[in-house]
Amino acid sequence: MVKADGSKPSFLKDLNTLLQQNIREWGMYIALVVIMAYFTIATKGIFISSRNIANLINQTGYIAVLAVGMTLVIIISHIDLSVGYLSGFLGAVAATAMETWNFSAATSIFLIVILGALAGLFSGFLVGQMRIPAFVATLAGWLGYRGALQLVTMSKGTIVITNEAYNAIGNGYIPDISSTTFLPGVHKVTLILGGLTILLYIWNAINSRKRMLSYNFKILPRHLFIIKLIFVSILIAGIAWILAGYRGLSWTAVVILIIVLFYNFIMTRTVLGRHIYAVGGNPEAAQLSGISVKKITYVVFCSMGVLAAISGVLYSSRFKSATTTAGTLFELDAIAAAFVGGASPSGGIGKVTGSIIGAFVMMSLTSGMNLMGIDISYQYIVRAMVLVAAVVFDVATRNRKKI
Amino acid sequence: MVEAEKIPIVEMHNIKKNFGGLQALKGVDLVLHHNEVLGLVGDNAAGKSTLMKILSGAYIPDEGEILIEGKKVHLTSSWDARQLGIEMVYQDLALANNLDVVANVFMGREVVSFRLGPLGVMDEHYMERETERLLDRLKIDISSVRLKVDSLSGGQRQAVAIARATAFNTKVTIMDEPTAALSVAAIEKVLDLVRELKAQGNSIIIISHRLEDIYQVSDRMMVLRHGRKVCDTPVTGDIDSFREHVVAYIVGARDDFAEEGSDQS
Ligand SMILES: Nc1ncnc2c1ncn2[C@@H]1O[C@H](COP(=O)(O)OP(=O)(O)O)[C@@H](O)[C@H]1O
Ligand SMILES: [Mg+2]
Repeated sequence: MVKADGSKPSFLKDLNTLLQQNIREWGMYIALVVIMAYFTIATKGIFISSRNIANLINQTGYIAVLAVGMTLVIIISHIDLSVGYLSGFLGAVAATAMETWNFSAATSIFLIVILGALAGLFSGFLVGQMRIPAFVATLAGWLGYRGALQLVTMSKGTIVITNEAYNAIGNGYIPDISSTTFLPGVHKVTLILGGLTILLYIWNAINSRKRMLSYNFKILPRHLFIIKLIFVSILIAGIAWILAGYRGLSWTAVVILIIVLFYNFIMTRTVLGRHIYAVGGNPEAAQLSGISVKKITYVVFCSMGVLAAISGVLYSSRFKSATTTAGTLFELDAIAAAFVGGASPSGGIGKVTGSIIGAFVMMSLTSGMNLMGIDISYQYIVRAMVLVAAVVFDVATRNRKKI
Repeated sequence: MVEAEKIPIVEMHNIKKNFGGLQALKGVDLVLHHNEVLGLVGDNAAGKSTLMKILSGAYIPDEGEILIEGKKVHLTSSWDARQLGIEMVYQDLALANNLDVVANVFMGREVVSFRLGPLGVMDEHYMERETERLLDRLKIDISSVRLKVDSLSGGQRQAVAIARATAFNTKVTIMDEPTAALSVAAIEKVLDLVRELKAQGNSIIIISHRLEDIYQVSDRMMVLRHGRKVCDTPVTGDIDSFREHVVAYIVGARDDFAEEGSDQS
């Protein structure tokens, strides 16, 4: 691909092959940029304002976290309908723990993460051990956790959370160095973090390119590589600048970043991730190769349960309360985000980073249309069309590859 | 050949297997010598796949014993068989289409460069180089080991499946219908691969409906019919008389073990 064919490298040809190979991934990034640009123009800049973007990230948090877990579930060809109400229920348990039992924020979070893991293991047991179709098993969870949520919130209807440390997770921002002279009104720590991220990204990209070269991997031609570096750097710088203009990086954003980096690492670099993809691609082959499909099913559903707990924390802390309807339809938003992000309904294919972008695409639509004052009924229809377009695009590009 | 004086690498004695009321195997004996290619033929449902799944640990026989290099073994899973150097290439390709060639070759045996608690971080470069070396050694022609398996041709996929089975110190490779659903050119490639494996010291059992495949690569062949062995003979003579001879056994016109099914020849 690089210089092996001896022909003169042509920029357009390279760009073309590159787009063809990664059309789905690039398409999504382009879609996100187009959507954001459109709303920015349509709202005369309000959409891209620091305040709105900060809000958008905090709003996307609890869905994005679920979408990460859902991606793994979809990769192994299952589905988990129970996680919306599980998230709501666990948020209510955390609220009760803090308000009624006087637990600290940390203990309450620890408690519901454990409960989430157990709930996930139970789904894993039904699906992996008892071989109940995931749709049915987790539909039972959907009903059960909904009931449990109503039980917990029954006495008051809404449990108000007064723990400030806890509420900061959904509303707070990372601290800044105070300075009245240097860049007043701009969040300096966020800018510094953005700068560090860019340096780290470039250092890492150059290193891995060198390594790949020495092993004869397929790599990007030099000019495209440099363009990619510049593009991503500008993107990170832009996001950092926008966020720094309001109150900086929110704790929710920190949580999302940590979860995405961690799961991306697992899925791309570790044996566990490889086994998850293998089970999704061909469970019989995986089993014959000595991979325990059962174990993978347990692990994936357990991780989903833990992420449901974290989603519950993000949601309940953001609204400083647990309500009877918390978590309603979160599971469907998460599933939609994963599909928009390129996960395949037939299993085996999907990326954690893709699903996060998918979640931001869907939430940008909601946020932008809200700002434009578009009626909620049209909002649903537009989001439906985006979901259909994404899946149709998938099917079309995949079929073309076969020919 | 000198193999007669050596201990066979595989001996199966009086293997019986029932599925419910169905007697799939009624006491079959099988011998495979070192560095030998054994062809296994028979009509549909004769029990060929079942016998080989027993040898590869996927099924457990109801009766009978298995000796590997003269030692009695109990195979309870494909993992057991693999530990003893027995690998099977399944009839319905055991590859994951969503993964690339490297990931498929190393599926379930990923090489770890370091561990973070329960998480093993894969050594991609090592696995990639090993895969390239393996494909080179077996003269398999695939442009990049980073191609996803679903973008390969049928013949290439079969080659990957076979390469994968022979990658890890395999002594006995079992191939169940490796040439089914392949083009003529692809079949030739697979047969070349079988010869290459034999040249490198492997012992191979190959199941095929295509008698010309068996004729081309096998040293010896056996015929199963209705769960019994009816013929066990070296492959000799010209292809036409070979075919005529074998078909007579497959359809039941001849039977070398007619009186006592489990008799030793
Ligand atoms: N897992 C199974 N359960 C029930 N019957 C089976 C199973 N596997 C094979 N059989 C039956 O055993 C017989 C032999 O099958 P098989 O070994 O696949 O034949 P061959 O590979 O020679 O065509 C067939 O009648 C088949 O239906
Ligand atoms: Mg068969």
